[in-house]
Amino acid sequence: MAVRAKPDARHTSAAHIGAVTTSTLAEADDRVVAGRAADGDPQAFEVLVRRYGALMRVYARSILGSNDEADDVVQEAFVTAWQKLELLNDPGAIKSWLMRIVSRRSIDRLRRRHEHDDINEHDQPTGENTQPGQVAEARSLASAIGTTLAVLPPAQRRCWLLKEVAEYSYREIALDLEIPETTVRGLISRARTTMAREMQAWR
Amino acid sequence: MTAPTPQSTSNAATVAALNPANLDGHTIEELSAYLDAERTPTNFSIESSPGCQIALTALGRLRDLTQRDLETQAAAEPAPADSWVQSIMDRIALEARAGRDIPISHPSTTARLAVSEGAVRGLMRAAGDSIPGVIVGRCILHGDVTVPGEPITITVDISVAWGENLHDAADRARSAIYRQLLKHTELTLSAIHITVQDMRFTRPRRTEIKES
Repeated sequence: MAVRAKPDARHTSAAHIGAVTTSTLAEADDRVVAGRAADGDPQAFEVLVRRYGALMRVYARSILGSNDEADDVVQEAFVTAWQKLELLNDPGAIKSWLMRIVSRRSIDRLRRRHEHDDINEHDQPTGENTQPGQVAEARSLASAIGTTLAVLPPAQRRCWLLKEVAEYSYREIALDLEIPETTVRGLISRARTTMAREMQAWR
Repeated sequence: MTAPTPQSTSNAATVAALNPANLDGHTIEELSAYLDAERTPTNFSIESSPGCQIALTALGRLRDLTQRDLETQAAAEPAPADSWVQSIMDRIALEARAGRDIPISHPSTTARLAVSEGAVRGLMRAAGDSIPGVIVGRCILHGDVTVPGEPITITVDISVAWGENLHDAADRARSAIYRQLLKHTELTLSAIHITVQDMRFTRPRRTEIKES
């Protein structure tokens, strides 16, 4: 079922002596798997692709505001990750590191889409509101947050995700989106306020 | 349908904490902006209000909730298509991670032999993985491996299956790695440090293999 990684010619002879299967490898924690991938083991990298691919896709979709390009962006992010993995000092931090890469890739994609104005539409007051009852009926508080997040103005949503999921600093967000840092703080603050307000409807 | 869990209790508490009526005259807007100003300069009125303190903590939870929502959505996603995974694997296969060249002596003065650091790491992984229950993580060769005779220290992270004796697993991995390096390289090893980074729970079939 699992697709075997095409073995690197240089490592082929070593690859079958130990013969750890992808499913066994998938049981190991991030630090071990990412450390191994950083050393150049494609099989370990494949475990990371399967472990974080879906999360990265959901995240990219939310940043981009559409599903169309999410798969491409995540693929590009993984290729970049492989190239730079060697430089990752703490393999245990692979998840947030991948989220940063997919963030960067998503922002590049937004630029290429000529959505510069969209990235900067920081004065847009509020998004469409959630449908009445939508938040109240959410199955969990987390999904109530997700519902609210989905209808935030794109600029607010992006800044929020970059800050709270990809763990960017305000300054890094400002640099990447090319907007003033004070604007970033304002956007995040508004996103949070909206979420807090919408949450009052949740039971 | 489901009984209340500690989780849902704390969710209800989070919602209550963000009720504007409990903020001693402050507003959510104000508190949110205060957080994004990284609580500087200190606002003593906010800092001394228990209601505001509870609300600030609740606002902080929005981060966890956002992350949890993404995780939940990701879990509901269809598993990535094998073809999609494969196209990533095809693209990365073109770039091997060779690392430094580790020289190997040869009787002829004109021949220059070397093995790549990447290949040596592959060897160490295979050696460690051959020990039951062990999966090798990162392997680092410390010291200048390009200079023959230079003392080299090796650090290896391993994951060990639950139930295995940790000391024993680490010892066996160390000897296996040592034997392979001795056999295939001319490195002057001063130490091999093994760190058990992870203990993992495996599927039930473990009991049957226990005899090995």
